[in-house]
Amino acid sequence: MVSAADARFALREGVSVLRPQRASAVPVLDPREEPVISVQALTIRYGSFAAVKQVSLDISPRKVTAIIGPSGCGKSTLLRAMNRMNDFIPTIAVEGKLLYRGANIYDAASDPVDLRRRIGMVFQKPNPFPKSIFKNIAWGARINGFRGSLDDLVERACRQAALWDEVKDKLHQNAYALSGGQQQRLCIARTIALQPDVLLMDEPCSALDPIATSRIEDLIDQLKADYTVVLVTHNMQQAARVSDRTAFMYLGELIEVDDTNVIFTKPKHQRTHDYITGRFG
Amino acid sequence: MTAHFVDLLDGLKRRSLRMASLVEDILEEAGEAVSRADHALATRVTGRDEDVDAEEVQVEKEVIRLLALYQPVGSDLRLLCTILKVNNDLERIADCAVNVAERARHVDPAMAADGIGELDRMIPIVRQMLRHAVQAYSTQSSADAQRVFQDEEAVDALYGQVIRRVVVDAARSPEYMASYLDLLSVAKNLERIADHTTNIAEDVVYLTTGEIVRHRSA
Repeated sequence: MVSAADARFALREGVSVLRPQRASAVPVLDPREEPVISVQALTIRYGSFAAVKQVSLDISPRKVTAIIGPSGCGKSTLLRAMNRMNDFIPTIAVEGKLLYRGANIYDAASDPVDLRRRIGMVFQKPNPFPKSIFKNIAWGARINGFRGSLDDLVERACRQAALWDEVKDKLHQNAYALSGGQQQRLCIARTIALQPDVLLMDEPCSALDPIATSRIEDLIDQLKADYTVVLVTHNMQQAARVSDRTAFMYLGELIEVDDTNVIFTKPKHQRTHDYITGRFG
Repeated sequence: MTAHFVDLLDGLKRRSLRMASLVEDILEEAGEAVSRADHALATRVTGRDEDVDAEEVQVEKEVIRLLALYQPVGSDLRLLCTILKVNNDLERIADCAVNVAERARHVDPAMAADGIGELDRMIPIVRQMLRHAVQAYSTQSSADAQRVFQDEEAVDALYGQVIRRVVVDAARSPEYMASYLDLLSVAKNLERIADHTTNIAEDVVYLTTGEIVRHRSA
């Protein structure tokens, strides 16, 4: 059935009203779907200092969850806990649970190397290896036992990272020759090549100019069709633009988590309101 | 920069409230012009509309400027959206008030002297609605906004009575047909003012709670 409004629109736009609608890139999510990551009463201490205090937070599949808050609020510590990057800090102590697909990643039986393959990370500053573009992407897959075509793998990862058209003719040039924005997308391609489940992004645009930032944000929007993304950002407008859910942290505590639209139009907590409107922080 | 933005936002809200006061004055004078069939006052009211039109444009420009330059969120965003919408409703109320005044210039003084019944009751209610809506907007009070909703039904009922009365009276006294049509137009514009005033009250509810309450009864 074609409504009168559809017909008027079609006439104006010169399109067929009978053309099938393009399927959404994002699958319809069942709200009852199990969280990919479930943080449960998590406390993280550096020595005697508690950087994260009793935080509980579920990360929904194939959505972008942004974690915002002022410097020192514990957001990066929480993010890095999700793939045990904090293990390298000798004074760290973790209490509570952090479940990935239902299993506590801090259990003795959990393998952090395997975990980091499933939960990849992109850092503030692009950190490509001092090698060719091709090797940057292929190397991780190769040492993880990948047996398929590396050419195909590199092309697929570069395409997913919206980088292919810019590097396809110079795959064997040094990655350092790329611009900052291209290097960051290369790091995303490098992470994607391992076919992770979750992408953790710690201020991925803080070292980039506005145009490169816009490309990364577009990329994040595309990536959520296939990956679960957790994004730490100081840029609140970025959180508003790219995320589906936003968590606000302050002094190590999770103050509020809700749909991004709610957080940025009618947050429930005064402290969230004061932060997003720039009244403090 | 935030303190600067807050100052700009406060200034814009005050400017919008000044415009609201101007529109209240225009409505008051338009009501007087109708009740007293004061043609000189009606002419004065018509001239004041230009001030409202000019102010509406300036307020809108400032809202757009602040949205573009500061990308506000939360209650700041809600306030700017509300100012923009209230701005539009205030301008429309002023237009309707001018229409009321213009029609008043044509009403036969003999008919006005007899009293216009339902219209005399509509005018103070509509003015009270606008006063409460502006008060709610000024204090950002949902409770004040609720008082506006209560009065809207009374205005609608009186408008219905005016229509019925005009139909009967015009049939009895067709020599006054033109004046009856003017009265009908006055009543219609008062009813429109009540609608715009209700919009303002609904915008205040959005401002204070984040809830959009329009079309709830539909």
